[in-house]
Amino acid sequence: MGFKLDYLLSILPRLISAAAVNLRLAVIIMLLALVLGTALTIVRSRKIAAVNACIAVVISFVRGTPLLIQIFIAYYVLPAVGLDLSPEVAGVSAIAFNSMVFVSESMRGGLATIDAGQIEASTALGLPPHAIWLKVVLPQLFRRIVPVLINEATIVVKGTALLSVITVVDVLRTSQQIASSSYRPFETMIGSALVFLVINLAISLSGRLAERRFAAARA
Amino acid sequence: MHFDPAILVDYWPLLLQGAWLTLQVSVAALLLGYAAGIAVALIALTPGWLPRLVAGFYVEILRNIPFIIILFVVYYGLPFWGIRLPATLVGTVALALFASAYYAEIVRAAILALPRGQFESARAIGMSPANAMWHVVAPQILRALVPPSTNMTLTMMKESAVLSSITVPELTYQSLVVQGNTFAPFEVFAAVASIYWLIAAAIAEASRRLERRVGAVQAEAVSRNRIADRYLSLVARRT
Repeated sequence: MGFKLDYLLSILPRLISAAAVNLRLAVIIMLLALVLGTALTIVRSRKIAAVNACIAVVISFVRGTPLLIQIFIAYYVLPAVGLDLSPEVAGVSAIAFNSMVFVSESMRGGLATIDAGQIEASTALGLPPHAIWLKVVLPQLFRRIVPVLINEATIVVKGTALLSVITVVDVLRTSQQIASSSYRPFETMIGSALVFLVINLAISLSGRLAERRFAAARA
Repeated sequence: MHFDPAILVDYWPLLLQGAWLTLQVSVAALLLGYAAGIAVALIALTPGWLPRLVAGFYVEILRNIPFIIILFVVYYGLPFWGIRLPATLVGTVALALFASAYYAEIVRAAILALPRGQFESARAIGMSPANAMWHVVAPQILRALVPPSTNMTLTMMKESAVLSSITVPELTYQSLVVQGNTFAPFEVFAAVASIYWLIAAAIAEASRRLERRVGAVQAEAVSRNRIADRYLSLVARRT
């Protein structure tokens, strides 16, 4: 049997509408990861030994275990401790938690590139800590880590495909449903691959444009 | 709810078998993927727009599609072209394919970071391109390759969990089997997460040893002061 391009084109509309699910979840995850990652970074900057030791263990856990296992933990283990989450919520929590750690780790790297004189000046001016964070450190930090965050966004989009494993009807699960009735899994999978390719290339491209604007704004 | 590791007593062999397969698949995909990655990097650096374009497509396509979808494309694609392989082999090939795109970028970046004169002088004294690469470029980029390659290998080992979805009996697959038999998700996933954690730690340790052999890249010392450290550093100052 040959490759059926017309079949591939006929299923694309269904895959594209399923992509709305991946996109919506990815946006929620990224927002959560940014907010939680920033909060985690600020907590870590307080350098309370016991707290930072616990956070270090959590970070090592998140970085040392597969995202799929983290999703299974949210999906299977949390209900056992009384937190009965829908597949979507469980999946979003798992990926957001994972991404939070990566956001905080890239912020750690970004912080080291900020000029110490900025903090000295703000401290000498008597700015309160929250103002130093919000007005001095974070705006510069976010600009510097835009490339990393864009990369993280594509990783999050790719991560949402894993949610099909816990029954979220996303692009991948939709394509599996289509394939089970059409018996053309290869073309169907190529279709979902194309959908993800387009989404992620669009994210990378807009990221590059944003970078250029930020670079121009700084000059 | 309580935590009862005794539930797993009968299932440890299954989990260990799974962990062993995860290791084997990861090592095979590392070797295969790195070989392919070096080839793609060299193609990308060949003069002329066509090789660069082809290598660029290869890398961008593989890096922008979720691994689980690459896996299914290979899984359904091979039979489509008349090739039938056992699931474990299919999974290893897909994993190597996925990792090769990232290894290619790592190798390419390391070669580009080396001053061009190195390769050109080697060519000027009459070495063939292959000899210049092997005797002049390769030894110099080795140390720069270790840290990013380790990161990628860790990522790849973790992605191998996805092979469970095409029934490769690796660690994640076995964990789902045990979970189905025991209905003890807490114990099962705690055990499995710990095993992955151990494998990751082993890979990181192996890389540290390798780094010591090839000579570690010196981390840049950051000159800081106490006031700035309150905001710009996340680790306590050692005094």
